[in-house]
Amino acid sequence: MQMHPMEQFRVTPLVPLHIAGYDVSFTNQSLVMCAIVAAVSLFMALAVKKDRLVPTRSQSIAELSYEFVGNMIESTSGKAGYRFFPFVFAIFMFVLLSNFFGLIPGVFTVTSQIAVNFALAILVVLTVVVTGFMVHGIGFLKLFVPNAPWYLLWLLIPIEIISFLTRPISLSVRLFANMLAGHTMLNVFGGFVIALAGLGGVASALSIAPMFMIVAVMALEFLVAFLQAYVFAMLTCIYLNEALHLHDHH
Amino acid sequence: MPEPDDLKRLGDRLDEARRREAADVKPSAPSPLGIAFRFATEMVSALVVGGALGWGIDWLFGTRPVFLIVFFVLGAAAGIRNAVSAAKEINARATRANEDGKEQ
Repeated sequence: MQMHPMEQFRVTPLVPLHIAGYDVSFTNQSLVMCAIVAAVSLFMALAVKKDRLVPTRSQSIAELSYEFVGNMIESTSGKAGYRFFPFVFAIFMFVLLSNFFGLIPGVFTVTSQIAVNFALAILVVLTVVVTGFMVHGIGFLKLFVPNAPWYLLWLLIPIEIISFLTRPISLSVRLFANMLAGHTMLNVFGGFVIALAGLGGVASALSIAPMFMIVAVMALEFLVAFLQAYVFAMLTCIYLNEALHLHDHH
Repeated sequence: MPEPDDLKRLGDRLDEARRREAADVKPSAPSPLGIAFRFATEMVSALVVGGALGWGIDWLFGTRPVFLIVFFVLGAAAGIRNAVSAAKEINARATRANEDGKEQ
């Protein structure tokens, strides 16, 4: 079966649904997202159900991920950041599981869709803005005023504003591009294997080479899957820290 | 029934073991590929935002291409500013990781 390398990113409706002229069909993507949320919730609930002093393996994983996110928050925004623990933890687990679910052959990769990532990133930035105004009131706007002589401010303030507006885009595009590139690469090498094997003779034997490449890329993809979830959560923490403390790093 | 002293000693030993562990797995600077990706996305997305803002303002006031050009340049400046602060942040994290490593 020959398939286009981009075919794997197609969103197909499973249960067509139209409400008030909007297409709100339940798609293969919705299905995987539901599975991810169910998996995280079930795992976290079951893993700590017994609450042993000496943790079992699954309880260890739950505690490790909890501490991992906790350390991330504390190292970026200190104790004050802990009120965002549920938010950051939910985002981290969702992105991480989306990336890992996507590595299961045949499963749709949710984070390869810019719409999903952008929605997450917008959520992060809106949280930052709301928090900023709640904590500092109108003083939050000082975030856009850098330490500079007054006669340069007319130029620097627009730059700061653009730089702030960049965040949801760079946050979502980074995750999207990483996932898209990795999965396309896997698919292309898979295509090589099939094409070479189909040629017969010496060429068939050569098809083992792209096979090894797939193994190598797969290993790299596991690293990328974790790293990108980490980066997404880390940047969320950094942005929240700015909203909380207005620490400008100019 | 364990004595409180025993528990405390166990706690101390656990803490020490954890600290040793943490020193080993501390993530140092991100991979070169990651850094490159970071800079590229910062730069490109700033240009996109700048261009889109300028295009939007032009569309509102019918002044194309004045604001598109102005905001594209501003976007480039914002991109460089983002890249510089990303570099600073990566450096700071790498230095912190190094210092933590030396303490042990």
